[in-house]
Parts: sequence; C-alpha cells; structure tokens
Amino acid sequence: MQPLRVGFAGLVALAALATWLLIAGPARVLGVDAGNAGVVLLMAAGWGSLYAISRMPDDGLGETMSRGEWRAWLGLAFTLVIAAYSIAHAGVFQGPPLPHNPDANRVGRNVVMLLAAWLILAHVLDARGRDRVQRDERDREIEARGAGAARLALVVILVGYALLLSFSPTERLDWAVPPLLGHLLVVALVVSCAFEYLVIGIGYWRDRR
Amino acid sequence: MGNGTPVGNTIRRLRFERGGMTQQALADASGVTRQTVIALEAGRYAPSLELAFRIAHALGARIEDVFQWKGDA
Repeated sequence: MQPLRVGFAGLVALAALATWLLIAGPARVLGVDAGNAGVVLLMAAGWGSLYAISRMPDDGLGETMSRGEWRAWLGLAFTLVIAAYSIAHAGVFQGPPLPHNPDANRVGRNVVMLLAAWLILAHVLDARGRDRVQRDERDREIEARGAGAARLALVVILVGYALLLSFSPTERLDWAVPPLLGHLLVVALVVSCAFEYLVIGIGYWRDRR
Repeated sequence: MGNGTPVGNTIRRLRFERGGMTQQALADASGVTRQTVIALEAGRYAPSLELAFRIAHALGARIEDVFQWKGDA
C-alpha cells in the first residue's frame, strides 16, 4: 500500500504544480509558456491517475468506488481547474477581437486543450474493462440527478448574467465587450459541468458511506 | 437519495446459502456493477422491479424471498 500512497501523493503534487502554473504562475517557465506547461503537467497527472486506478488492489478503493464515481471526481477536478484558469485569465478577453489578440488566443487554446484532454481521459476511462458491466440503472439514476443539477446551475448563472446586463447602468458595463461575454458563457458551461460532476460524486459517495 | 430505502432484502444471506456466491458473481449474473450489489446489500438502493426479478432469478429464489417491504424508512 505504501508505494500506492507515495504515487498518489506524487500525483497530487503534480496536479497542484500544474494548477499553480495555469492560474497563478509566471508567464514563462524555462522559456516555455507556463499555461502550456500547466496543461501538459495536468494531462500527465490525469493519465497517472488512470494508471493508478488500473493498478489498485481488488480489496481497495478500486472495488468500492465504481467507474462512474472515479469519472465524477476526476471530472470535477478537471472542470474546476478549467473554470479557475478561465476566470483567472478572463481579463485578456477585454482586449481587441480574438483574431488580433494573441493573449486571448493562447488562453482559449489552453482551455480547449484542457477540455480535449479531459474528454480523451474520460473516453479511456469508459473504455477500460468492457468485459464487465460498467453502468447500470443506479448509475443512470445518479447521472440523471447530476444532469438535472447542472441544468439548474446553468439556468441560475444565465439568469444572473441576464439580470446583470439588463439592469446595470450602461457606463458600468464598459467591461462587457463581446469577446469577454462569449468567454463568460463558456465559463458558465464549464461551471455547470463541474456542478454536475459534484452532484454525481456525492450521489455515489452517499450510496457507499 | 438512496440512503435508507423502505425495501429490505436478504441478498447477503441468500448469497452465502448459495455456496458463498460472490458479490461480483451476482453482479455479473444480474447485469449490474458490483458497487450496486454492495449498495443493495447495505439497504442504500431500492432496485427497479426488473432488477429485483433479475437478482431473484440469479439467486434462484422468489422475489418475495429476496425483497421485503419494510414500510416508510
């Protein structure tokens, strides 16, 4: 069990370093864009987690936690990092339109890379162990609750945007340029996904505690 | 939300009476995950009627011998 714990501690440290690089780190590290380095490190942490799950002993959490629960917690971590990164760098979208704004392009590219990394990771997670039942009616019920919660979160956020834009005096909406509004809509989608994963993870956790 | 359902069951006892059938074997025979069998045995999940029949069939028992109504939990 000791090597497993050391491995998990290493993965957590790697994910923390990646998150710091993405959100609060310097612009460049060793001549490389810190955002790109963060994306690569986070992908490495994600793949390492996948490997750790596959190596987990049968009497450990690997048997107690279902595939859906692993997916939910990993998804929550990824979407929270994406949301935090997007919010931390939202300021760059106040500049000129995207074709003439290299900083916004860089942030947008990193967000897309993070989303793609998570989609690939989730696909691999779903594809493993196809010889056994991976999803059943309980999983579908928990996922349905998560989807309902995500829809509610998205409605609340969008109504909040609508009220903010509708009732704020025009002179206080200088920040609301189209690229930033578009970016904030993407953030709303990512936050609603994070909320979905959170509700799904809690659903599984409640069933086994 | 899945905790404390009004449907009780004797899955665990019946598994042992069937020669120590494992949770995984029952899960495979019933078409569910092992974690769902764990949740069922712990009384934290009430199965659909179809799943209840499949589990009873896998255990070679009648549905009323496997699942019992306990009243409001």
